[in-house]
Amino acid sequence: MKNLILFSVLFAILAVVCVYRLVKGPTAADRMVAADNADILLCCAMILFSLHSGRGVYLDIALICALFGIIDTIAVGRYLDKKGRFHNVDSDHH
Amino acid sequence: MLIRIIIDLLIGAGLVFAVAGTIGIVKMPDPFSRMQAATCISTLGVLGVAAGGILYAALVMHNASAAIKIAVIALMIMATNPVGSHAIAKGAYSHGYRPKKPMETDDLGRDFDD
Repeated sequence: MKNLILFSVLFAILAVVCVYRLVKGPTAADRMVAADNADILLCCAMILFSLHSGRGVYLDIALICALFGIIDTIAVGRYLDKKGRFHNVDSDHH
Repeated sequence: MLIRIIIDLLIGAGLVFAVAGTIGIVKMPDPFSRMQAATCISTLGVLGVAAGGILYAALVMHNASAAIKIAVIALMIMATNPVGSHAIAKGAYSHGYRPKKPMETDDLGRDFDD
């Protein structure tokens, strides 16, 4: 089925467009939002490519991508938080 | 043949929402607006792709394990992405980033006054 590989390539192109914001974005939150969404779009592209090629390995890779995407998003969110645990380690104004 | 048309329509709907979210990520002015535009990718885009993929794997490929894996992936993304967005939004607000237009009500701001 030719349509699946076409949709897969389009999702990968959208992920590359998100990488533009990841490189250019002025703040860390912008970069993290762009990275998270590039991750999700690559997950979609890998699902469609797995259905196109008939190999189940890409589904496993997409699952791992989705799981680790949420972990680094939460890690950067907690790092930016001034009341989080990363800030209290090296600050003394509390 | 009809089922393939339905699959293409579902994946195409997901692609339309993904394009809308990507345009929002590139064009919106501040991190919070970008987050709000990007929500469209992780809910409706993933939902369209997963619905089309599950139908294709189950009815065209006759592969039940692939369908279940796609369902698990979609459920994982749609369940965990609001948590990540909340963490990023709270961290960005606490770090000092503000929306470009001044806010009319600021309920979260009183928690960060000290």
